[in-house]
Amino acid sequence: MVPQYKAERLRLQQFPWMKGDSPVNSTMSVGQARKLVEQLKIEASFCRIKVSKAAADLMAYCDAHACEDPLITPVPTSENPFREKKLFCALL
Amino acid sequence: MGEVEKMKKEAEGLKTEIEAARKAVHDTDMAAAAAGLAPAPRVQLKTRRTLKGHLAKIYAMHWCTDNKLMVSASQDGKLIIWDSHSGNKINAIPLKSSWVMTSAYAPSGNLVASGGLDNMCTVYNLKTPVVKIIKELDAHTGYLSCARFLNDADILTASGDTTCALWDIETGKQKTVFLNHIGDCMCLALSTDMNTFVSGACDSLAKLWDIRDGQCKQTFQGHTSDINAISFFPTGNAFITGSDDCTCKMYDIRSDQEVIGYQDAQLNSGVTSLALSMSGRLIFAGYDDFNCNIWDSLKGEKIGVLSGHDNRVSCTGVPSDGMCVCTGSWDSFLKIWN
Repeated sequence: MVPQYKAERLRLQQFPWMKGDSPVNSTMSVGQARKLVEQLKIEASFCRIKVSKAAADLMAYCDAHACEDPLITPVPTSENPFREKKLFCALL
Repeated sequence: MGEVEKMKKEAEGLKTEIEAARKAVHDTDMAAAAAGLAPAPRVQLKTRRTLKGHLAKIYAMHWCTDNKLMVSASQDGKLIIWDSHSGNKINAIPLKSSWVMTSAYAPSGNLVASGGLDNMCTVYNLKTPVVKIIKELDAHTGYLSCARFLNDADILTASGDTTCALWDIETGKQKTVFLNHIGDCMCLALSTDMNTFVSGACDSLAKLWDIRDGQCKQTFQGHTSDINAISFFPTGNAFITGSDDCTCKMYDIRSDQEVIGYQDAQLNSGVTSLALSMSGRLIFAGYDDFNCNIWDSLKGEKIGVLSGHDNRVSCTGVPSDGMCVCTGSWDSFLKIWN
Protein backbone atom coordinates (compact mmCIF):
# COMPACT_ATOMS: atom_id res chain seq x y z
CA MET A 1 0.00 0.00 0.00
CA VAL A 2 1.44 3.36 -0.95
CA PRO A 3 1.47 5.53 2.13
CA GLN A 4 -0.28 8.85 1.72
CA TYR A 5 1.97 11.50 3.13
CA LYS A 6 -0.77 13.39 4.93
CA ALA A 7 -4.09 11.68 4.40
CA GLU A 8 -3.96 9.31 7.36
CA ARG A 9 -2.97 12.04 9.75
CA LEU A 10 -5.58 13.44 12.08
CA ARG A 11 -6.17 16.97 10.90
CA LEU A 12 -6.75 19.86 13.21
CA GLN A 13 -10.34 20.68 12.35
CA GLN A 14 -10.62 23.57 14.64
CA PHE A 15 -8.49 26.60 14.34
CA PRO A 16 -7.82 27.90 17.82
CA TRP A 17 -6.73 31.31 16.60
CA MET A 18 -10.14 31.84 15.01
CA LYS A 19 -12.07 30.98 18.13
CA GLY A 20 -9.72 32.79 20.45
CA ASP A 21 -8.93 29.62 22.35
CA SER A 22 -5.44 28.86 23.42
CA PRO A 23 -3.78 26.29 21.19
CA VAL A 24 -3.23 23.86 24.06
CA ASN A 25 -6.12 22.01 25.67
CA SER A 26 -7.54 22.97 29.06
CA THR A 27 -5.23 20.63 30.92
CA MET A 28 -2.26 22.90 30.17
CA SER A 29 0.61 22.69 32.60
CA VAL A 30 2.04 25.74 34.33
CA GLY A 31 5.15 25.45 32.19
CA GLN A 32 3.16 25.36 28.95
CA ALA A 33 1.02 28.31 30.01
CA ARG A 34 4.09 30.32 30.91
CA LYS A 35 5.71 29.54 27.54
CA LEU A 36 2.53 30.59 25.75
CA VAL A 37 2.43 33.91 27.59
CA GLU A 38 6.14 34.53 26.94
CA GLN A 39 5.73 33.84 23.24
CA LEU A 40 2.73 36.15 22.99
CA LYS A 41 4.64 38.88 24.82
CA ILE A 42 7.41 38.66 22.20
CA GLU A 43 4.87 38.88 19.39
CA ALA A 44 2.89 41.67 21.03
CA SER A 45 5.99 43.85 21.45
CA PHE A 46 6.62 44.01 17.70
CA CYS A 47 6.52 47.48 16.12
CA ARG A 48 4.23 47.38 13.13
CA ILE A 49 4.36 49.76 10.16
CA LYS A 50 1.29 50.89 8.26
CA VAL A 51 0.11 48.59 5.48
CA SER A 52 0.04 51.60 3.13
CA LYS A 53 3.80 52.04 3.63
CA ALA A 54 4.46 48.30 3.24
CA ALA A 55 2.38 48.19 0.07
CA ALA A 56 4.12 51.27 -1.36
CA ASP A 57 7.53 49.68 -0.82
CA LEU A 58 6.45 46.44 -2.50
CA MET A 59 5.04 48.31 -5.49
CA ALA A 60 8.16 50.44 -5.79
CA TYR A 61 10.38 47.35 -5.85
CA CYS A 62 8.32 45.63 -8.55
CA ASP A 63 8.33 48.79 -10.61
CA ALA A 64 12.06 49.31 -10.31
CA HIS A 65 12.87 45.74 -11.29
CA ALA A 66 10.25 45.01 -13.98
CA CYS A 67 12.69 45.78 -16.79
CA GLU A 68 15.24 43.28 -15.47
CA ASP A 69 12.66 40.54 -14.90
CA PRO A 70 12.98 38.22 -17.91
CA LEU A 71 9.51 36.80 -17.34
CA ILE A 72 7.95 40.28 -17.53
CA THR A 73 10.30 41.93 -20.00
CA PRO A 74 11.39 39.07 -22.25
CA VAL A 75 15.03 39.04 -23.30
CA PRO A 76 15.87 38.87 -27.03
CA THR A 77 15.76 35.30 -28.34
CA SER A 78 19.53 35.34 -28.85
CA GLU A 79 19.99 35.86 -25.10
CA ASN A 80 17.49 33.22 -24.02
CA PRO A 81 19.45 30.10 -23.04
CA PHE A 82 16.24 28.07 -23.38
CA ARG A 83 15.41 29.13 -26.93
CA GLU A 84 14.66 26.42 -29.45
CA LYS A 85 17.94 25.15 -30.75
CA LYS A 86 18.27 25.36 -34.48
CA LEU A 87 20.49 22.67 -35.76
CA PHE A 88 22.40 23.40 -38.88
CA CYS A 89 23.73 20.52 -40.86
CA ALA A 90 26.53 21.30 -43.23
CA LEU A 91 26.69 18.96 -46.15
CA LEU A 92 30.31 18.37 -46.89
CA MET B 1 -7.80 31.79 40.42
CA GLY B 2 -5.22 29.10 39.74
CA GLU B 3 -1.91 30.07 38.21
CA VAL B 4 -2.73 28.39 34.88
CA GLU B 5 -6.06 30.20 34.72
CA LYS B 6 -4.37 33.53 35.39
CA MET B 7 -1.84 32.94 32.63
CA LYS B 8 -4.54 31.82 30.20
CA LYS B 9 -6.31 35.10 30.86
CA GLU B 10 -3.07 36.98 30.30
CA ALA B 11 -2.63 35.10 27.02
CA GLU B 12 -6.12 36.07 25.87
CA GLY B 13 -5.37 39.67 26.72
CA LEU B 14 -2.14 39.59 24.70
CA LYS B 15 -3.93 38.08 21.70
CA THR B 16 -6.51 40.85 21.80
CA GLU B 17 -3.68 43.38 22.03
CA ILE B 18 -1.96 41.88 18.97
CA GLU B 19 -5.16 41.92 16.93
CA ALA B 20 -5.82 45.54 17.87
CA ALA B 21 -2.27 46.54 16.95
CA ARG B 22 -2.63 44.87 13.55
CA LYS B 23 -5.96 46.60 12.96
CA ALA B 24 -4.45 49.93 13.91
CA VAL B 25 -1.94 49.79 11.04
CA HIS B 26 -4.39 48.29 8.57
CA ASP B 27 -5.08 51.58 6.77
CA THR B 28 -5.40 49.80 3.40
CA ASP B 29 -4.69 46.46 1.75
CA MET B 30 -2.41 45.58 -1.14
CA ALA B 31 -5.16 45.28 -3.76
CA ALA B 32 -6.57 48.71 -2.89
CA ALA B 33 -3.10 50.27 -2.86
CA ALA B 34 -2.35 48.73 -6.25
CA ALA B 35 -5.69 49.68 -7.79
CA GLY B 36 -4.15 52.43 -9.90
CA LEU B 37 -1.24 50.28 -11.05
CA ALA B 38 -1.03 49.13 -14.65
CA PRO B 39 -1.85 45.42 -14.83
CA ALA B 40 1.08 43.05 -15.22
CA PRO B 41 1.48 41.99 -18.84
CA ARG B 42 -0.57 38.97 -19.84
CA VAL B 43 2.04 36.26 -19.53
CA GLN B 44 2.24 33.59 -22.21
CA LEU B 45 5.06 31.26 -21.48
CA LYS B 46 6.06 28.35 -23.68
CA THR B 47 7.48 25.03 -22.66
CA ARG B 48 11.13 25.23 -23.69
CA ARG B 49 12.29 21.93 -22.23
CA THR B 50 10.58 18.78 -21.02
CA LEU B 51 13.03 16.86 -18.85
CA LYS B 52 12.32 13.16 -19.04
CA GLY B 53 14.12 10.64 -16.94
CA HIS B 54 12.31 10.03 -13.71
CA LEU B 55 10.17 6.91 -13.60
CA ALA B 56 7.72 7.96 -10.90
CA LYS B 57 6.20 11.03 -9.22
CA ILE B 58 8.47 14.02 -8.81
CA TYR B 59 8.16 15.55 -5.35
CA ALA B 60 10.75 18.31 -5.31
CA MET B 61 13.15 20.39 -7.35
CA HIS B 62 15.65 23.13 -6.55
CA TRP B 63 17.79 25.38 -8.75
CA CYS B 64 21.52 25.73 -8.32
CA THR B 65 22.75 29.34 -7.94
CA ASP B 66 24.51 28.99 -11.33
CA ASN B 67 21.05 29.23 -12.95
CA LYS B 68 21.80 26.23 -15.14
CA LEU B 69 21.91 23.10 -12.98
CA MET B 70 19.00 21.86 -10.93
CA VAL B 71 18.23 18.87 -8.71
CA SER B 72 14.96 16.93 -8.74
CA ALA B 73 13.75 14.17 -6.42
CA SER B 74 11.34 11.40 -7.31
CA GLN B 75 9.65 8.42 -5.70
CA ASP B 76 11.58 6.32 -8.22
CA GLY B 77 14.33 6.59 -5.61
CA LYS B 78 16.59 8.96 -7.53
CA LEU B 79 17.94 12.47 -7.29
CA ILE B 80 18.75 13.72 -10.78
CA ILE B 81 21.04 16.67 -11.44
CA TRP B 82 20.02 18.26 -14.75
CA ASP B 83 21.72 20.72 -17.06
CA SER B 84 18.60 22.72 -17.85
CA HIS B 85 20.12 24.40 -20.92
CA SER B 86 20.96 21.19 -22.75
CA GLY B 87 18.34 19.05 -21.02
CA ASN B 88 21.04 16.48 -20.20
CA LYS B 89 21.31 14.51 -16.99
CA ILE B 90 24.57 15.21 -15.21
CA ASN B 91 24.07 12.79 -12.31
CA ALA B 92 21.56 10.23 -11.13
CA ILE B 93 22.01 9.65 -7.41
CA PRO B 94 20.33 6.56 -5.92
CA LEU B 95 18.49 7.22 -2.65
CA LYS B 96 18.51 4.78 0.27
CA SER B 97 14.83 5.59 0.80
CA SER B 98 12.59 6.26 -2.18
CA TRP B 99 9.98 8.10 -0.06
CA VAL B 100 11.58 11.44 -0.72
CA MET B 101 9.78 14.74 -0.10
CA THR B 102 12.44 17.39 -0.53
CA SER B 103 15.69 18.16 -2.30
CA ALA B 104 18.05 21.12 -2.01
CA TYR B 105 21.12 22.50 -3.79
CA ALA B 106 23.79 24.23 -1.71
CA PRO B 107 24.58 27.81 -2.85
CA SER B 108 28.16 26.70 -3.59
CA GLY B 109 26.97 23.99 -5.97
CA ASN B 110 29.12 21.46 -4.09
CA LEU B 111 26.40 19.67 -2.15
CA VAL B 112 22.80 18.50 -2.50
CA ALA B 113 20.46 17.16 0.17
CA SER B 114 17.35 15.01 0.24
CA GLY B 115 14.92 13.74 2.83
CA GLY B 116 11.44 12.34 3.35
CA LEU B 117 9.66 9.56 5.22
CA ASP B 118 13.01 8.23 6.47
CA ASN B 119 12.95 11.22 8.89
CA MET B 120 16.51 12.03 7.84
CA CYS B 121 18.26 14.67 5.79
CA THR B 122 21.00 13.08 3.68
CA VAL B 123 23.77 15.37 2.38
CA TYR B 124 25.73 14.39 -0.74
CA ASN B 125 29.03 15.70 -2.12
CA LEU B 126 28.77 16.25 -5.87
CA LYS B 127 32.43 17.05 -6.34
CA THR B 128 33.98 13.67 -5.53
CA PRO B 129 34.57 11.43 -8.61
CA VAL B 130 31.53 9.41 -7.53
CA VAL B 131 28.79 11.25 -5.64
CA LYS B 132 29.14 10.32 -1.96
CA ILE B 133 26.95 10.69 1.12
CA ILE B 134 28.84 12.95 3.52
CA LYS B 135 26.27 12.93 6.33
CA GLU B 136 22.94 11.55 7.39
CA LEU B 137 21.27 14.08 9.70
CA ASP B 138 19.16 11.93 11.95
CA ALA B 139 17.26 13.42 14.88
CA HIS B 140 13.83 14.39 13.64
CA THR B 141 11.03 12.14 14.86
CA GLY B 142 8.85 12.85 11.84
CA TYR B 143 9.21 13.06 8.08
CA LEU B 144 11.47 15.62 6.46
CA SER B 145 9.31 17.96 4.40
CA CYS B 146 11.85 20.63 3.42
CA ALA B 147 15.58 21.35 3.60
CA ARG B 148 17.58 24.44 2.64
CA PHE B 149 21.36 24.99 2.83
CA LEU B 150 22.71 28.20 4.34
CA ASN B 151 26.19 27.22 3.14
CA ASP B 152 28.29 24.04 2.95
CA ALA B 153 28.40 23.83 6.74
CA ASP B 154 24.81 24.57 7.80
CA ILE B 155 21.40 23.36 6.70
CA LEU B 156 17.84 24.12 7.86
CA THR B 157 15.17 21.44 7.91
CA ALA B 158 11.40 21.38 8.43
CA SER B 159 9.75 18.21 9.73
CA GLY B 160 6.45 16.43 10.30
CA ASP B 161 7.50 16.28 13.99
CA THR B 162 6.36 19.99 14.10
CA THR B 163 9.90 21.34 14.51
CA CYS B 164 12.44 23.01 12.28
CA ALA B 165 16.14 22.61 12.96
CA LEU B 166 19.50 24.14 12.07
CA TRP B 167 22.20 21.49 11.68
CA ASP B 168 25.98 21.49 11.68
CA ILE B 169 26.65 19.22 8.72
CA GLU B 170 30.17 18.29 9.82
CA THR B 171 29.16 17.07 13.29
CA GLY B 172 25.74 15.88 12.16
CA LYS B 173 24.15 17.52 15.20
CA GLN B 174 21.28 19.97 15.55
CA LYS B 175 22.62 23.41 16.59
CA THR B 176 19.19 24.91 17.15
CA VAL B 177 15.68 23.46 17.28
CA PHE B 178 12.82 25.80 16.44
CA LEU B 179 9.80 24.86 18.54
CA ASN B 180 6.43 26.55 18.31
CA HIS B 181 4.30 25.03 15.55
CA ILE B 182 1.56 22.64 16.66
CA GLY B 183 1.22 20.88 13.32
CA ASP B 184 3.58 19.20 10.84
CA CYS B 185 6.01 21.72 9.34
CA MET B 186 5.64 21.49 5.58
CA CYS B 187 7.89 24.18 4.12
CA LEU B 188 10.49 26.81 4.87
CA ALA B 189 12.15 29.73 3.12
CA LEU B 190 15.43 31.38 4.07
CA SER B 191 15.87 35.17 3.99
CA THR B 192 18.68 36.46 1.77
CA ASP B 193 20.61 37.77 4.77
CA MET B 194 20.29 34.31 6.36
CA ASN B 195 19.37 35.78 9.74
CA THR B 196 15.74 34.69 9.58
CA PHE B 197 13.53 32.13 7.94
CA VAL B 198 9.79 31.58 7.60
CA SER B 199 8.00 28.26 7.98
CA GLY B 200 4.53 27.01 7.05
CA ALA B 201 2.77 24.17 8.83
CA CYS B 202 -0.35 22.03 9.09
CA ASP B 203 -1.54 24.22 11.96
CA SER B 204 -2.36 26.74 9.16
CA LEU B 205 0.15 29.22 10.57
CA ALA B 206 3.28 30.77 9.12
CA LYS B 207 6.03 31.75 11.54
CA LEU B 208 9.09 33.96 11.29
CA TRP B 209 12.16 32.75 13.20
CA ASP B 210 15.45 34.31 14.24
CA ILE B 211 18.13 31.79 13.28
CA ARG B 212 20.63 33.07 15.84
CA ASP B 213 18.50 32.94 18.99
CA GLY B 214 16.06 30.22 17.90
CA GLN B 215 13.03 32.34 18.75
CA CYS B 216 9.74 32.57 16.91
CA LYS B 217 9.38 36.33 16.45
CA GLN B 218 6.09 36.56 14.60
CA THR B 219 3.10 34.33 13.80
CA PHE B 220 0.87 34.91 10.78
CA GLN B 221 -2.72 33.67 10.62
CA GLY B 222 -5.28 33.58 7.85
CA HIS B 223 -5.09 30.21 6.14
CA THR B 224 -7.67 27.60 7.08
CA SER B 225 -5.67 24.52 6.18
CA ASP B 226 -2.11 23.19 5.81
CA ILE B 227 0.43 25.59 4.38
CA ASN B 228 2.39 23.58 1.80
CA ALA B 229 4.58 26.23 0.19
CA ILE B 230 6.31 29.42 1.23
CA SER B 231 8.63 31.87 -0.49
CA PHE B 232 10.12 35.28 0.33
CA PHE B 233 9.39 38.33 -1.79
CA PRO B 234 12.77 39.60 -3.13
CA THR B 235 12.97 42.50 -0.64
CA GLY B 236 12.71 40.06 2.27
CA ASN B 237 9.97 42.23 3.82
CA ALA B 238 7.13 40.00 2.69
CA PHE B 239 6.50 36.36 1.89
CA ILE B 240 3.90 34.34 -0.02
CA THR B 241 2.26 31.13 1.20
CA GLY B 242 0.27 28.44 -0.62
CA SER B 243 -2.20 26.19 1.16
CA ASP B 244 -4.55 23.21 0.98
CA ASP B 245 -7.32 25.80 1.44
CA CYS B 246 -6.80 26.52 -2.30
CA THR B 247 -5.48 30.04 -1.75
CA CYS B 248 -2.16 31.80 -1.67
CA LYS B 249 -1.54 34.78 0.58
CA MET B 250 1.05 37.51 0.87
CA TYR B 251 2.04 38.49 4.40
CA ASP B 252 4.02 41.63 5.09
CA ILE B 253 6.56 41.15 7.86
CA ARG B 254 6.81 44.79 8.97
CA SER B 255 3.02 45.25 9.27
CA ASP B 256 2.75 41.75 10.76
CA GLN B 257 -0.32 40.67 8.73
CA GLU B 258 -1.83 39.38 5.54
CA VAL B 259 -1.96 42.11 2.90
CA ILE B 260 -3.54 40.26 -0.04
CA GLY B 261 -5.01 36.88 -0.94
CA TYR B 262 -4.89 35.04 -4.25
CA GLN B 263 -8.03 33.03 -4.77
CA ASP B 264 -10.67 32.25 -7.34
CA ALA B 265 -14.12 30.76 -6.78
CA GLN B 266 -13.47 28.25 -9.53
CA LEU B 267 -10.25 27.03 -7.99
CA ASN B 268 -10.93 24.20 -5.60
CA SER B 269 -7.58 22.42 -5.57
CA GLY B 270 -4.90 22.83 -2.98
CA VAL B 271 -1.69 24.74 -3.68
CA THR B 272 1.33 22.46 -3.59
CA SER B 273 4.20 24.78 -4.49
CA LEU B 274 5.05 28.34 -5.45
CA ALA B 275 7.84 30.51 -6.81
CA LEU B 276 8.19 34.21 -7.57
CA SER B 277 9.60 35.91 -10.63
CA MET B 278 12.72 38.01 -10.10
CA SER B 279 10.90 41.33 -9.56
CA GLY B 280 8.35 39.67 -7.31
CA ARG B 281 5.49 40.75 -9.56
CA LEU B 282 4.56 37.25 -10.72
CA ILE B 283 3.66 34.27 -8.54
CA PHE B 284 3.79 30.82 -10.11
CA ALA B 285 1.63 28.52 -7.98
CA GLY B 286 1.33 24.80 -8.60
CA TYR B 287 -2.01 23.17 -7.80
CA ASP B 288 -3.42 19.67 -7.32
CA ASP B 289 -5.53 20.20 -10.48
CA PHE B 290 -2.44 19.70 -12.71
CA ASN B 291 -2.03 23.40 -13.49
CA CYS B 292 0.35 26.13 -12.46
CA ASN B 293 -1.51 29.44 -12.17
CA ILE B 294 0.26 32.76 -12.61
CA TRP B 295 -0.85 35.55 -10.26
CA ASP B 296 -0.14 39.28 -10.26
CA SER B 297 1.30 39.57 -6.75
CA LEU B 298 0.24 43.22 -6.32
CA LYS B 299 -3.27 43.24 -7.81
CA GLY B 300 -4.25 39.72 -6.81
CA GLU B 301 -5.44 38.79 -10.30
CA LYS B 302 -4.83 35.55 -12.13
CA ILE B 303 -3.03 36.46 -15.33
CA GLY B 304 -2.01 33.18 -16.87
CA VAL B 305 -1.82 29.40 -16.61
CA LEU B 306 0.91 26.90 -17.35
CA SER B 307 -0.92 23.81 -18.59
CA GLY B 308 0.89 20.82 -19.82
CA HIS B 309 1.30 18.39 -16.99
CA ASP B 310 -0.82 15.26 -16.79
CA ASN B 311 -0.85 15.11 -13.04
CA ARG B 312 -0.46 17.29 -9.93
CA VAL B 313 2.22 20.00 -10.12
CA SER B 314 4.26 19.21 -7.02
CA CYS B 315 7.12 21.70 -7.23
CA THR B 316 8.04 24.96 -8.93
CA GLY B 317 11.21 27.02 -8.97
CA VAL B 318 12.61 30.16 -10.58
CA PRO B 319 16.41 30.43 -10.83
CA SER B 320 18.11 33.48 -9.31
CA ASP B 321 18.52 35.18 -12.71
CA GLY B 322 14.77 34.90 -13.22
CA MET B 323 15.24 33.51 -16.72
CA CYS B 324 12.53 30.83 -16.58
CA VAL B 325 10.20 28.88 -14.33
CA CYS B 326 10.50 25.13 -13.80
CA THR B 327 7.54 22.96 -12.85
CA GLY B 328 7.79 19.37 -11.63
CA SER B 329 4.90 16.96 -11.55
CA TRP B 330 3.55 13.63 -10.39
CA ASP B 331 3.49 12.83 -14.14
CA SER B 332 7.30 12.29 -13.75
CA PHE B 333 8.32 15.22 -15.97
CA LEU B 334 9.89 18.59 -15.34
CA LYS B 335 9.09 21.43 -17.69
CA ILE B 336 10.99 24.66 -18.21
CA TRP B 337 8.94 27.65 -19.35
CA ASN B 338 9.71 31.15 -20.49
